Amino acid sequence: MPADFSGVPESSELSERLDLSVPADAEAIARVVDAISETLERLEVPEQKRFEVALAVQEALANAVVHGCGNDPSKQVRCRLQSNPEGRILISVTDPGLGFSPERLPDPKRQENVYADHGRGVYLIRQLMDEVQIERPGNEIRMWKY
Amino acid sequence: MGPAVDNLRQTMDEALSNGDTRMVMNLSEVPMVDSSGIGLLVRYLAVIKQKGGNLKLAQPSKFAVQTLRLVGVLNLFEIFDNDDAAVESFV
Repeated sequence: MPADFSGVPESSELSERLDLSVPADAEAIARVVDAISETLERLEVPEQKRFEVALAVQEALANAVVHGCGNDPSKQVRCRLQSNPEGRILISVTDPGLGFSPERLPDPKRQENVYADHGRGVYLIRQLMDEVQIERPGNEIRMWKY
Repeated sequence: MGPAVDNLRQTMDEALSNGDTRMVMNLSEVPMVDSSGIGLLVRYLAVIKQKGGNLKLAQPSKFAVQTLRLVGVLNLFEIFDNDDAAVESFV
């Protein structure tokens, strides 16, 4: 079933809270996740929601570094956090890669995938966030938390 | 991902090479488990079970449990409130 984005606020209502471009490596990911968590705390977002957003961001950044940048730290990943007056949060993660087709990802909850050592990142993001858009060609993910 | 997962992988490989197949992993200092950590946990659980052992989890945070449940692997693990109870369960 296609996602319903009728409730997604217009971009014009959003305020920019964070806009970071970092090298594609694990240390930089950790710094961005920390910065996102601190920003959410300043915005008085409850702890449970902060954890959920932080994990979703970590997953999106890890995908960007590994798949979008091929673990090449000379490449950059961009992460933005915006919010609106109603407290809705939009996070976008962009990489310079060729993108991917989300519909081709395996279902990690299928019996044959339960013991797989990878393939849960995007599924987890969809479970943790309220709306997720993967922009064509698939190198930008936009994630909403309400 | 990164050093945390690399360190865990090294520790688990060392334990396995020592012949250990009954393991308790204490997660009390782990506020968050990401998909690479989950992948590692289920991979080692499978290896250890093939050797007739088990990998049990102690003191996972509420959010770690929620995350394991979200991706459908929580029921693969035995979970305990403390290390002693997990260790005793092997006897």
